[in-house]
Amino acid sequence: MKCDFCHDNEATIHLIKIQGNNVEKINLCKECAKEFSFLTEKDSYNDLTRILYRFFNSGINEHHSGRDKKILRNISYSRNKKCSLCGIDLKTIKKIGRVGCSNCYNEFKDVLFPIIKSIQGSLENKGKVPIKTNRKIRLEKNIKDLKNKLKNEIIIENFEEAARIRDRIKKLEDSVYDR
Amino acid sequence: MTGRNFYLLESKTGEKRSGNNKNKIILNSRVRLARNLADHKFVNISSGPEKNIILKEIRKYIDDVKFFNDFRFYSIKNLGKIQRDLLFKDFMISPEAANKMQGKGLFIRSGQKWGDSSIIMINQEDHLRIQSIRPGLNILEAYKEVIGIERYFERKINFAFDKNLGFLTASPLNLGTALKVSVIAHLPVLAISPKVADFVKKLNQVGCLINGYFVGHSEIIGNLFKISNQVTLGKSEGAIIEEMQAICLNIIDDEKAARIKLKESDPLGIKDNIYRSFGLLKYAKILSYEESLELLSILRLGLDLDIIDGINDFDYFDIMGKISDSHIISDLEMSGRVTDDELDSARADLIRKKILKEI
Repeated sequence: MKCDFCHDNEATIHLIKIQGNNVEKINLCKECAKEFSFLTEKDSYNDLTRILYRFFNSGINEHHSGRDKKILRNISYSRNKKCSLCGIDLKTIKKIGRVGCSNCYNEFKDVLFPIIKSIQGSLENKGKVPIKTNRKIRLEKNIKDLKNKLKNEIIIENFEEAARIRDRIKKLEDSVYDR
Repeated sequence: MTGRNFYLLESKTGEKRSGNNKNKIILNSRVRLARNLADHKFVNISSGPEKNIILKEIRKYIDDVKFFNDFRFYSIKNLGKIQRDLLFKDFMISPEAANKMQGKGLFIRSGQKWGDSSIIMINQEDHLRIQSIRPGLNILEAYKEVIGIERYFERKINFAFDKNLGFLTASPLNLGTALKVSVIAHLPVLAISPKVADFVKKLNQVGCLINGYFVGHSEIIGNLFKISNQVTLGKSEGAIIEEMQAICLNIIDDEKAARIKLKESDPLGIKDNIYRSFGLLKYAKILSYEESLELLSILRLGLDLDIIDGINDFDYFDIMGKISDSHIISDLEMSGRVTDDELDSARADLIRKKILKEI
């Protein structure tokens, strides 16, 4: 099987990405895998335009044979799409390495989320939630934090504390979901 | 945030704060939070008038508010070039702000200077950036300052936020906590050691970026490195601060170990190097900024290793600011049209006066 990115080398690395019900398979050669994962090159973190450039260029050089190229196809589909709120397009985002507004993250989700995932390693905020956000989001965040804490307490066999945390989670869940 | 661990960190940072220049390896700590206003375009694509609206909106909560009464406002477009250079250097603002100046402003806590400041930046890369710089290894102290200011704003302003992506920023590299911690490290021995590649790799593995301190130079100048967290999403603020603190303590240990090893393995070589630097600083009549930093770095190492004496126990970071082009021009009240040689000659004089105890 040939590599999905360069179409030259034999693919030796096969990635499977599961997102909801979507299963994507990406086949890469060793060289392209380095570029794809961005985990070995220290500079790549620095420079978003470069990261985007790699993604886009692999899309532009498409010989588009075979399947399994959802990310690449998403890029080429949305190349001319503009953000409905600020009017920026992907080409500009790539050029300046910045999005135009909050809505861009939603609008270009298909392209940006895999990139964010590869840079940040996560798509789940564990940081602070602003006070003005609605109560539900804040409580959900609290529950998530407590669940993590619960796991840790169970690992260290601190069952007394774990039970207390469990009760608090239940109380919070009841209030969030109006049970 | 876990109170217990923070207490531990605090006592450790307290130790490092002795104000002594000797063996100072982490020269300063910077913490920065980015925020954007909900329902507005981000700065990079908004027009001049749109930026002015944001500026006005944010100023509304700062001007004449008691909480900020020791902050002073600077409008970027009203500043002269030298003043601007000084601001960028002293408060480490990105020079990008110098380009499109419309609608950009800074609030700086007054009475503060190079390497010790709190600053609120409006309409730079993000609508609002809150930054604090503290000398030495003082990440937690800097964080407490920025989060205190942020807590004031979050009651007034609706920030762009997404429950999965966290605080929304212009660059996806800042999403989540939008918290960047960076330190400047002086690593004269690690920088020349054959282990430097391993060292960089190790830092990358723990999620750290390491670069030369001076932007735009590919080589390292003055053995100064900037080390910062690369991941902002998927970790809590507390976790990021704790990790960076632990990493810094490791860096200090690594550099110290390398220094001891070098002093044992090549005592004559290191002595020779230090006295050569001393000789150049003492007798050279023209010194560029870059060359000065290289020499001063080695001289500082000489003081740290007790190899040289009879010179001032100088603060490397402090001197780094004072001998920069813009500082020399403004301190000596030179005209803007000064030649490179004049600058370099003034710099050589200044260093002799400040460090070598000469008049």
